[in-house]
Amino acid sequence: MNSVNLDFAEELKEYSDDTAFECFNCGTCAAICPLVHDNFPRRMIRYIQVGAKEKILENSDELWRCLHCGLCTHTCPREADPGEIILGLKRFVLANWRKS
Amino acid sequence: MFNPRDIIEVLAANVRQTKSPFGIPKYMVNTWFKDLRLPKEGEYLLFTGLMYQFSPFIETATQYLEKYEDTETAGYLKYAKWVPGYISGIGLAMMTKRKEKRKAGQLLKNIAYLLHKSKVNFGYRPDLDNYSGILLYDMGDQKGFVAHAKKVAQKLKNAGIKKIITIDPHTAYALKELFPKYTGISFDVKPYFELLNFEPKDCGLEVTLHDPCFFGRYLKASDITRKQLANMGISVTNIRNQGEFTSCCGGPAESISPSLSNEILEKRVKELGEPGKPIIAYCPICLGNLKKSNADVEDLSTLLARHA
Repeated sequence: MNSVNLDFAEELKEYSDDTAFECFNCGTCAAICPLVHDNFPRRMIRYIQVGAKEKILENSDELWRCLHCGLCTHTCPREADPGEIILGLKRFVLANWRKS
Repeated sequence: MFNPRDIIEVLAANVRQTKSPFGIPKYMVNTWFKDLRLPKEGEYLLFTGLMYQFSPFIETATQYLEKYEDTETAGYLKYAKWVPGYISGIGLAMMTKRKEKRKAGQLLKNIAYLLHKSKVNFGYRPDLDNYSGILLYDMGDQKGFVAHAKKVAQKLKNAGIKKIITIDPHTAYALKELFPKYTGISFDVKPYFELLNFEPKDCGLEVTLHDPCFFGRYLKASDITRKQLANMGISVTNIRNQGEFTSCCGGPAESISPSLSNEILEKRVKELGEPGKPIIAYCPICLGNLKKSNADVEDLSTLLARHA
């Protein structure tokens, strides 16, 4: 069972701008992403919103399938900047790996 | 897919030790200018960021990575960070064909020729021409990127450089957008094709342009290339994903997952091939990747130099 970390979004502020809560999960980013399937990057953003830090760490390899092409950010109707959120998660995960 | 951590730590260690993500000493990478008499001073500094020069080495490295992806051997990659960068770099340089290195150098010579023919007042200083660190940024190694970028930017600032010509989209994005934000040092950055100035011509050609993500979307520079081509009477076909909505060719995935890179490449090549016209790329990563598909592809600088 995974626990929920209510301070996770706060923790991520060190790694990227705090835009995850702008997302209303429309799925445009997941539909347009040419690189990763399976609800990416929407699923990762949802994990941030609900504080599912462990889920992100468990699925962290997937983040590096994103090549920062920017199509999701360019088409996001909420200007939530999914591309930058994913880049912030890469920084967060890498920092965690290096601490461990 | 390789373990991202293994790849990142190797690249980061190489950049720290050798200022190059592949560990290849600069004197083995940057040789294209040696038989040209380029001025050292000028209104602009030509800054290649070494990305075009890296492309033949990337091709060699990818061939090996493709062999070992998702095999037990891939697990040994985690030990690579303990190998001194110069040793693995020199090894990679020795395994790369001289012919391919020469071809990459020719693209840079073409660009210098185009700038010269356009009467752009530029100089080239190999001592100031360094890798921008962009791969570390894209991989999420923010600290590594910022530390490296500060050194590169400070060196340029100390030399009194204010105006820079870049040639590839990744270096252009790093210098134009990331350096001011993360190093506090700004330059007036222009891609080489923005400064070209030729007499109008009518080449009567039609090509399909593959806009790289960073020139097409991030820097919104795809109209400039179209104007340059139109000036030479070269029309550009319309495809679904172009300009600001261009689609990735998969090139940047080569290190983490060659199979993912090939999967994306296949889709993009299909789209680019639909109009049945020669494909033009203007990014060394895209060019190298698209060539793997045996598509009829060449660099923008080659096309322009042939007709300028």
